[in-house]
Amino acid sequence: MAIKGVLKEELDNSLRMKKRYEQELAKLPKGSLIKKNIKGRQYYYLLLREKGKVKFIYKGKNASSEMIKKYAEAKILRAKYRKLLSQVKKQIKFLRGSLRGKQAI
Amino acid sequence: MGSKQYKLVLEVLKRLDNEGVLSQTVLIGSWCLLLYKDYFKSNLSLLRTRDLDFLCPRSMKVAKKINVPEILKDLGFIQEFVYPQGYIKLMHPELIVEFLVPEKGKGRNKPCPLPQLGMNAQSLRFLDLLIKNTIQLELEGVKVLVPHPAYFAIHKLIVTQRRDKKEKALKDIQSASAIIKLLLERGQKDMVQEAFQMVSNKWQNKIRDLLRQEKELDILNVLA
Repeated sequence: MAIKGVLKEELDNSLRMKKRYEQELAKLPKGSLIKKNIKGRQYYYLLLREKGKVKFIYKGKNASSEMIKKYAEAKILRAKYRKLLSQVKKQIKFLRGSLRGKQAI
Repeated sequence: MGSKQYKLVLEVLKRLDNEGVLSQTVLIGSWCLLLYKDYFKSNLSLLRTRDLDFLCPRSMKVAKKINVPEILKDLGFIQEFVYPQGYIKLMHPELIVEFLVPEKGKGRNKPCPLPQLGMNAQSLRFLDLLIKNTIQLELEGVKVLVPHPAYFAIHKLIVTQRRDKKEKALKDIQSASAIIKLLLERGQKDMVQEAFQMVSNKWQNKIRDLLRQEKELDILNVLA
């Protein structure tokens, strides 16, 4: 009985967590800032995917250090949040399965 | 949620310790059981949730202003504002970190801002009991303040009667009884009685009724 209560609480927490990670992912700036070397010159592009297509958006010959930092941090956080979101989804599946079981937990 | 979770708990504790937060706060909730297991050197049931709760005295002072959500952000913790109460939880698939303060007076349905930590704490009744007698235990070299097990157990016997969820109430009773029995086995009857005396007469009677109902007669005899 006590375990069932803990599992129910954990399921509620995981559902809230899933929503929050999705919100945080949506808030992050889209795409990655990349540097291209074209004929010996450097140009910055924002690489992103729109409707399944890869797009390069020209950002200029120079990029401010803040911009580079912003996209670099977003890239790290996006990878982290995606991994954790996938973990939360697995937890939800497991917890739902456990609570659906006919045997008393 | 096994060793990954344990490593994360340890990392959170280390980071809070480095910032001087850990010496000012008391770890409460089910994670205390892990530390009590070592304290008693016994097989205490470790059924626990992901909540890692820290109790702050209302007069808490830290040397410098810090931002707990920022300190834990790179570990993947995200902030959640709990509405309508307005307190903050830091969520991670393995852990949920929360700060709590004892509720004073008639209580109010508002969070308690902790600007020195960059957090809003939830205020809850009866938490003052957990600050009255604390002990310092170690988790892999990190010194952590926890309530004395007797106070922890008596607190559980109070909150179990205020729970809406029956299953959680049962978990509280089970852990409280197990801890009190271990204390009695180790000759710490006085500590159990001392913690019990800290509670109002009304709650002492309610605890006795509960123990009678649960047929915990050994414990009841000590608290008679």
